[in-house]
Amino acid sequence: MSVSPRRLRAGAFALATLAIISTTACTAGGSGGNANGGGATTLTVNTSFVLKTLDPGRVYEATGLTAVHALYDTLLTFEGSDVSKPVPALAESYEASADAKTFTFKLRSGVTFSDGSPLTADDVVFSLNRLKNIKGSPAVTVSELSVSKTDDNTVVVTSETANPNVPVVLSMPSTAVINANVARENGAKDGEDAAQGDTAQQYLDTNSIGSGPYVLKSYEPESQVVLEANPNYWGEAPQFERVVLRNMDVQTQKLTMQRAEAAEISLDISGKLLEGLPETLQTSGVQDTVYFLFLNADPAVSPVTSNPKFNQALRAAIDYQGVAALYGQGAAPGAGLVAPAFPGTLPEGEASTRDVNKAKALLAEANLTNPTVKFNYPAITYKGVDLGTVATKVQGDVAEAGITLELNPQPLTTFLDEMRGGKVALGFTPQSLNYPVADSLINNMAPGQATALRSGWTVERADPAIVAAGEKVVETLDLAARATAMQEWQRLMNQSSPYVVLASNSSTVVATADLTGADYTAAGWQVDVAAVGRK
Amino acid sequence: MTMIAPDPVAPDPKVERALTRRRWLGRLRGGSAGQPIWRQPIAVAALVILGGWLLLAIFAPLIAPYDPLAQSPEAYAPPSATHWFGTDSLGRDILSRVIHGARLSIPLALAIVSLALLVGGLLGLVAGYLGRFVDEALMRLTDLVFAFPQIILAMAVTAAFGPNTRNAVLALVIVSWPVYARVIRSAVLSMRGDDYLSAARLLGVGPIRALRRDVLPNSIGPAIVLATLELGNAVLLLAALSFLGLGPRPPAAEWGSMVALGSQDLSMWWVSVFPGLAILTVVMAFNVLGDALRDRLDPRYAKGR
Repeated sequence: MSVSPRRLRAGAFALATLAIISTTACTAGGSGGNANGGGATTLTVNTSFVLKTLDPGRVYEATGLTAVHALYDTLLTFEGSDVSKPVPALAESYEASADAKTFTFKLRSGVTFSDGSPLTADDVVFSLNRLKNIKGSPAVTVSELSVSKTDDNTVVVTSETANPNVPVVLSMPSTAVINANVARENGAKDGEDAAQGDTAQQYLDTNSIGSGPYVLKSYEPESQVVLEANPNYWGEAPQFERVVLRNMDVQTQKLTMQRAEAAEISLDISGKLLEGLPETLQTSGVQDTVYFLFLNADPAVSPVTSNPKFNQALRAAIDYQGVAALYGQGAAPGAGLVAPAFPGTLPEGEASTRDVNKAKALLAEANLTNPTVKFNYPAITYKGVDLGTVATKVQGDVAEAGITLELNPQPLTTFLDEMRGGKVALGFTPQSLNYPVADSLINNMAPGQATALRSGWTVERADPAIVAAGEKVVETLDLAARATAMQEWQRLMNQSSPYVVLASNSSTVVATADLTGADYTAAGWQVDVAAVGRK
Repeated sequence: MTMIAPDPVAPDPKVERALTRRRWLGRLRGGSAGQPIWRQPIAVAALVILGGWLLLAIFAPLIAPYDPLAQSPEAYAPPSATHWFGTDSLGRDILSRVIHGARLSIPLALAIVSLALLVGGLLGLVAGYLGRFVDEALMRLTDLVFAFPQIILAMAVTAAFGPNTRNAVLALVIVSWPVYARVIRSAVLSMRGDDYLSAARLLGVGPIRALRRDVLPNSIGPAIVLATLELGNAVLLLAALSFLGLGPRPPAAEWGSMVALGSQDLSMWWVSVFPGLAILTVVMAFNVLGDALRDRLDPRYAKGR
């Protein structure tokens, strides 16, 4: 049988028409959460998916955390965008011992899972033990904790070392309480051998077995995740009956939000991309990411960057205000390593300032004429900011002081490999925290710690005052005093550490005008979809 | 053996072909195929555009209003009287960067094409002249390179060696030499049995001298035409590599990386449109010129064939 060209053309035209019609239909269906005529109300959340699993014991990626927070409950939680103090959730109250090693949680009564069965202390113990023992990415936060129950309504969590931030850890989505019986039936294990024996991930990716305000309706990690209101929810029912998390790149998110009418949220439009959005949209952002340079302190790697005078000169040569301007609205010149969203941050007034003459004088003192350094950075766009643009700005700034930086953009994996190898003379990287407490900075970036050693910063090469200040933070158990100690530590770090903080930048939730409670939180789950309502 | 006194009315066609072949340059001025180049308005326009770009490239520091690397607080300024093409995210003048970009793209394209012509041409000559095992081996090597999409192979090479200008050029030479090898080899094959080659060999001319004196001049014509056509392709491939972050290191003003910078936020259209137009004009001009040259030099492709 032969097909005439005319028939082919007609067929192609018909196909094209069909494609256009179906695309229009999809678009209308996707953003038509409000046009429901008495049906279920839908909230659409657009985000560029970073999603590997919805298993609370393994979830570590941004999109997964947003979903898991809506599907499961934790002992404590954070409300709105306030991450300074955990509030009760499954636990109606808790007590901490004076040595910050023992924490006793009193469970709320009458809480049921989405299948109607009651939530008990056994479920809490099982969930936390499983998180610790399957040794997934989030397990590091609980590696020093052990959990036991004293009765059906009381759980005791003990820490090997004094840790006043255990309540914060137990607010993180990965510490969510799952239905132990259903989990066991589907291959979940909580024993010491759970790392090998646990096979529940596949089940938990497609089913939710929690007590949260939503249940999982469908999971398509490449395109969308659909949540539906939990009919057996113990708390106040969420206003939206359906939540659709849609995978969408950031440029498309911007276009979508420019046209969105109601019940729509975007999570990735930040920085310069916020410019040009309609005035009617609301934005909520918190500065929770810092961007810093790291210089190698090992003379064997670089005699230039390890020179303390060069370190000072580089700090003085950078135009911090100009760098912050590159990030667009919601950014600020960096004051310290702790981002403004978290307790212990330095006030913005303490941000470093530029002094090119001082930089030149320091270089002359050190007898460095036209020092040349290779400058590594990952060739990526992070939270709406192209790191290459920032690196080029830094290069232009320090060139005025007589420092030559050879820009070396790298694929992310190459950059990370070289950084871990500890041979990078000068690098540039963003940093976000795993959970909203800055202690991990001391554990990683103080002299002699893992991250510091990648910059060749051993205890011997560090100012003893910095070592002492870091120890003081860890020893201080009162949270307010700890935050003050953290500020002192940062001030010293700004004098002579290998880290030069450039700027802090916001993550932003953009929402249509009809919504309430669409607040960005630095707690990890970005936005609490269950708290989003309508005016 | 050929006749000692050929018939003057009907000359031996083989002899005539051998004699006319070396006249390929003469065809530029007219003669066998179509109009001379300067009678074709499109080809003239292409020549003018390329000439303009060459002048811009040579006199860039005199013509460009600003230093292409100088940053200013005036970021994302739209096109205006002070910045004709606007400024980019770091407040650099796009007009100056586009002009200086010509200093990278055009010489690098020339370098890529001449190196590829050199490598491919030598291998093609050797393969065609020696034949047998050498021919087989070299031609399977070209097949191997042809088996990969050009840009993917070039990306793999630059990623392996590390992204910078030298490696980008190297990668593009590696992916583009086989076309020349094939063209030259086929030209050599078509003349292998020709009498003047046999005669030269009988006179005791060695293979290297024969290649240089007889084979090369007679087979280079089609390769030169191909090279002109490939210049546009080289500009495009280089821009593509650098768009992907595998070209010259930043902050160098390179058209491909400038388009990439602008593509981050298309609402600032001028950041990517002007370097994009630069690429477009240069590539189109090279292609039009290459086509016109081919029509002139290779009668098989002439219009109305």
